[in-house]
Amino acid sequence: MPAAPPKLLVVEDDQQIAALLRSTLTRAGYKVVEARDGRAALSAREIDRPDLILLDLGLPDHDGLDLIGQLRGEPATRIIIVSAREATEQKVTALDLGADDYVTKPFDTGELLARIRAALRQKLASETERQVVQANEIRIDLLLRTVTRDGAAVHLTPKEYALLAELAKWPGRVLTHKHLLSTVWGPAQAGQTEYLRVAMRALRQKLEATPSQPTLLINEPGVGYRFLAEA
Amino acid sequence: MDMKQPPASLSYGATAVMVGAAGLVGLFVAPRWGVASVDLLFLPAVLAAATLFGRRPAVFAALLSALAYNYLFVSPIHSLRVDRLNDLVTIAVLLAVALVVSHLAAAMRSQAQLAAAAAARNATIAGLAGKLLSARIVEDIAEVATHELAALFECNATMLAPGSDGFEILAREPAGNPLTPSDVAAATIALDTGEPAGRGAPRLNPADWLFYPVRREHAGLAAIGLARDDGGRPVDDARRPLLENLLDQVALAMARVVLEREVQSVAGLRERDRLRSALLSSVGHDLRTPLTAIVAAAAELNTRSCPPELVATIEAEADTLRRYIDNLLGMARIEADGVRVHREPIDLVDAVGAAVHDLRGRLGGRIVQIDLPPDLPLVRADPNLLHHMLINLFDNAVRHGGDTLHIAGLANGSDVELVIEDDGPGLPEEGGATLTRFGRIAGSDRTGGAGLGFAIVRGFAEAMGVAVEASNRTDRPGARFALHFADTTPIAGKDDAGCAT
Repeated sequence: MPAAPPKLLVVEDDQQIAALLRSTLTRAGYKVVEARDGRAALSAREIDRPDLILLDLGLPDHDGLDLIGQLRGEPATRIIIVSAREATEQKVTALDLGADDYVTKPFDTGELLARIRAALRQKLASETERQVVQANEIRIDLLLRTVTRDGAAVHLTPKEYALLAELAKWPGRVLTHKHLLSTVWGPAQAGQTEYLRVAMRALRQKLEATPSQPTLLINEPGVGYRFLAEA
Repeated sequence: MDMKQPPASLSYGATAVMVGAAGLVGLFVAPRWGVASVDLLFLPAVLAAATLFGRRPAVFAALLSALAYNYLFVSPIHSLRVDRLNDLVTIAVLLAVALVVSHLAAAMRSQAQLAAAAAARNATIAGLAGKLLSARIVEDIAEVATHELAALFECNATMLAPGSDGFEILAREPAGNPLTPSDVAAATIALDTGEPAGRGAPRLNPADWLFYPVRREHAGLAAIGLARDDGGRPVDDARRPLLENLLDQVALAMARVVLEREVQSVAGLRERDRLRSALLSSVGHDLRTPLTAIVAAAAELNTRSCPPELVATIEAEADTLRRYIDNLLGMARIEADGVRVHREPIDLVDAVGAAVHDLRGRLGGRIVQIDLPPDLPLVRADPNLLHHMLINLFDNAVRHGGDTLHIAGLANGSDVELVIEDDGPGLPEEGGATLTRFGRIAGSDRTGGAGLGFAIVRGFAEAMGVAVEASNRTDRPGARFALHFADTTPIAGKDDAGCAT
């Protein structure tokens, strides 16, 4: 039996944008439910049980950031926030509070759909063990802890591998600098952004076709890194 | 205030009377209970004289008592001769005790007098301080000060403070004639030197007033002038310390008024900044929302087979509008001094990549060449500001440049230089100028949104301490922009654990 299409809750107070999102997402194969404000969002979450929530942070009756915790709930619903481009602090806070990813206004439809896919993929992945991630000619085996490029083994230092593995566990999704530093180097190093940059340089040298124009290991300025794979 | 001393004749006369009274009591007592303790009867008189009249009358009382005792009670009575030796001893002891008692009592009296004077002085100072508390502006302080000082010292008072052109009279008690130039000169001297100047002061001065400086922490705040109608000294030396204390109170009040004003203006500034921030966020949201709808609608149009050129136009212009809005808001932030810089180590690969990605629509079919060496040091900058700057520079290069955009990073010792070159017509004649003279560039072909874009680049660069240079290429026609980063972190020499190898 075909799986039911994922259900998305769009929390957006502007009529035009909500209507456009509904038509775009419906055409992409999702079921769409709408809410105009925070209160409606909370009740829609309870009643409709969406798989993913698209939350605009500029809502009238609630501070959007406050809503993230309440909307996530148990079991956690995926949340993608919609924010303005230069509001990096807001994005980082949202991610720290439990949002899974973000898109900026005005959004690129392609990016929006890719991030929804990436966020939903987590839901599937956590139900079946994810072991191998493939991105073009790069193959990462999380169980055997090996990385190959075009079949040839790539040698990575322990920290480089740990960083790559963490990113590969969440393909397509952004991970904050703080999260990556804490996970790979330990919570005490959460502010040492240089370590991250140095390790990224090395990874790009070893894995990217053109290290100075990366296509796989992408940085979101002021926020974090993303492993751009559709695996 | 000092207690007024009773006239000398009254003091000594009363003393003599008291000693006489003691003698009379003794004459009454002696026949009934003997002569033995009569001498002690004189001590109360000595005590009274000491307490009421002071040291000298007390000594007089002591001597008089000794003589009276000798005359009235020591044999042979009614003469000053002394027959027995032990009587002589008694007289001597009486005298000694009387003198000691008079000394002690007189000392207590003068201490009590000093304490009363100090209390009165403090009450005056506190009274002035209390009246000054309610003054909110300097003129009020001057009113209170001149009024109180004039009443206290029974003279005329005036207060001057340095104003925008020379001295201003803040208050006069009583209100009267303007000051002569010598008066103003005296006030100036008093203010500058911290010493009183004017009539009767060591430096002779044909002024009518004697000016005292009002100072706080070696800074002259004002000058207070005192004068008596009869030309005498307004404040004698004994009351000088009191005047000094009162002037200190005036100085304190003036300093307090200045501080209160500053606090108010800071509070006002903070509120203004807060309102501005809120306004900018709100305006940003209100402008971007319809734009988002336009872009999303255009994306929809595309997929329903409408003429692609029209759709492309909508998308391109919406994109341009978005950039204008971003620049306008950025400019507003710069002008409101609201640019907050959060520095972090940045890899220029990331910064360039993000800017190129955001401009991918406009970059279209152009050739973008990126040369960033693998060991290029990290630069410390604000990621948002840098992103905004690069977008403006790349957009400008694309708009006025030709088909190629060349972006290169170079290490110059410990500095890093990011160079952006296009192959368009280049900057106008004065193109050798740096962006500090961007006004000329703004008046050229590269106007329209570019003028604002350059202003953003310059404003954000300044906020981050990055130098920007605009010039023309030397190898071929085209513009060249260079960003100089001095705050850098080297890559080489660190392993990925962040430890120096």
